[in-house]
Amino acid sequence: MRHSTQSLPFSERDDFKDITPVLQDDGEKPVCPIAYAPEYVDAMNYFRALLDKNELSERALEVTTRVIGLSSANYTAWYFRRLVLKGLQADLREELEFVSEMSRDHPKNYQIWYHRQWIIEQLEDASNELDFTAEILAEDAKNYHSWTHRQWAIKTFNLWEKEIEYVDKLLLADIRNNSAWNQRYFVIFNTTGYTDEVIASETEYTISKILLAPNNESSHNYLLGLYRGRKLSSSARIMEFVADKKDKWTFCAPFLSLQIDICQELNDIEQALELCDKLIGGVDDIHKKYWIYKKSQLETPNGQ
Amino acid sequence: MTEQTQTALSGDIKWKEHKQFLHYCLNVLPQPYTSQDSNRITLAFFVIGALEVLDTTDRLKPEEVIEWVYSMQILPREGQQNSGWRGSNFYQPSAEAGEHDLGHVAMSYVALGLLLMMGDDLSRVNKEAIAKSLAQYQQKDGSFSPTRVKSECDMRYVYCACTVAHILNDWSGIDKELVTNYIIKSQSYDCSIGQGPQQEGHAGSTYCALASLKMMGTLDRLPNKDGLIKWLIMRQGLGFCGRPNKLEDTCYSFWVGASLLLLDCYHIVETKNTRSFTCGCQQRVGGCAKWADCHPDVLHTYMSFCGLSFIKEPGFLPVCPMLCLPQKAVDHLETIHNSWRS
Repeated sequence: MRHSTQSLPFSERDDFKDITPVLQDDGEKPVCPIAYAPEYVDAMNYFRALLDKNELSERALEVTTRVIGLSSANYTAWYFRRLVLKGLQADLREELEFVSEMSRDHPKNYQIWYHRQWIIEQLEDASNELDFTAEILAEDAKNYHSWTHRQWAIKTFNLWEKEIEYVDKLLLADIRNNSAWNQRYFVIFNTTGYTDEVIASETEYTISKILLAPNNESSHNYLLGLYRGRKLSSSARIMEFVADKKDKWTFCAPFLSLQIDICQELNDIEQALELCDKLIGGVDDIHKKYWIYKKSQLETPNGQ
Repeated sequence: MTEQTQTALSGDIKWKEHKQFLHYCLNVLPQPYTSQDSNRITLAFFVIGALEVLDTTDRLKPEEVIEWVYSMQILPREGQQNSGWRGSNFYQPSAEAGEHDLGHVAMSYVALGLLLMMGDDLSRVNKEAIAKSLAQYQQKDGSFSPTRVKSECDMRYVYCACTVAHILNDWSGIDKELVTNYIIKSQSYDCSIGQGPQQEGHAGSTYCALASLKMMGTLDRLPNKDGLIKWLIMRQGLGFCGRPNKLEDTCYSFWVGASLLLLDCYHIVETKNTRSFTCGCQQRVGGCAKWADCHPDVLHTYMSFCGLSFIKEPGFLPVCPMLCLPQKAVDHLETIHNSWRS
């Protein structure tokens, strides 16, 4: 009866007659009371009763299904549902189907995604997780929860093999997908690691993407990320790229910013300040105050 | 603040409508809020917080709010380990039950926040039990589950746990070193901070991380602050967004704004932009929505008001960025802490 389509209130069901419903006591002067849907009041009256009885039964499962259907973030309902599932030694593959449907309806609900993780942990089988998270990401390629779950499945079950391919596919679809760039870092960091060779090839890759969309913050951030703790100026490829574009990309704020970082490394403060002035003067008007601040940082020896 | 004062202030702010919207919510939240019943106390927090920041508290009855908040505190029971707050009165166990009466760290945080806003002295808070219980919520990697039974663990609950410890002035249930390490490991290659290690950097989790480090006194341990400041300011277009190449949303005027305040860098924000965006997201019925053409909700209303407070918009009272509470409530907390010390 897990997917019961019965819409009869529990108060009118014969199989619930033995239970005394427990009404909510919100005190005499409740604050921000909610005008509850009547079916919610009914479901909660029985949910409270079953919690008190600690009844781990099929009908308890059904009650949690209805509560979750009306209030999918109810953490007590999800917790109790897991107790019931364990108590019943329920078929978790059926539960996986249930939670998949819930995720499709509520793709940004934290409790549903955790419940899925719990099921996969119990089943010790993540064979469908890449497909499922890809399905959710096909609807919203930046769904944070889906990415979190995907990373968890990959790390826990060693599903690294085809992930770079998947990242590449997403970046082809949308070069500005910041989540995909992050996933790229996640995969490489945990597989080959950022060795000198990998950094060189990733530099080439990133520059090729920057050429396609020069103002894309995500690709610039990734490039800078490759060189954290290292020097951008140590890369011949980067220096060649900068030399090639610096007279053409005079209105590209992230590119000017990259040049400022390189100037800072090479202690060419005068040039860095000139570039800041360009940004302040119109190339990055929105963030003008930041560049004024940056100038003051550059002008002060050893920072503040 | 009087109505005359509000009229004299900026015509851009829909004072009357906001007041009406918030008073309405105080009396009843419409049926669609049914789905949020289990975190109803957070809704009250946003409504009352917004009224406080708007300095429009004439309809608030502090004693009633305080009683209602305390009605959701889990009281100690023989043989039971539950403490802290429920999200609403959706469950109150019978005398013999209680095992499933889970305290939730986010609900405890907002409950304490509400009590402070209403001027309560926290004397009825089960302080020791709550502070110690945080140890059950903390995971081996330093993160926190919201309840003593494990569920999703991420930076939001790190923040909530830290605020509870801070307000109760009792860190005995928290391994600060472990939390600090979790936060540092969650810093992304782009210098922002994700919900957990190697997850995408996000303004919300960045705020939670920075505020937590500040509360623990370990903010100086976070590397790449220059890069983080740049990442944060780059979230500003007209309004703020939460990640690169995502849409702007009024609530980020808090998450990003507060983060910059914690890093002593708010002066780099283009305040006229944030004002323009937020004003444009005020709704005809009052309240603020995440975007211009959207229904208002209480979370975005409170966060927008905090954002307007940060730009020192006249008529909006100061907000403490570290605790996401009106400064008045935080000043009251300091009085309470002083009384505990003496």
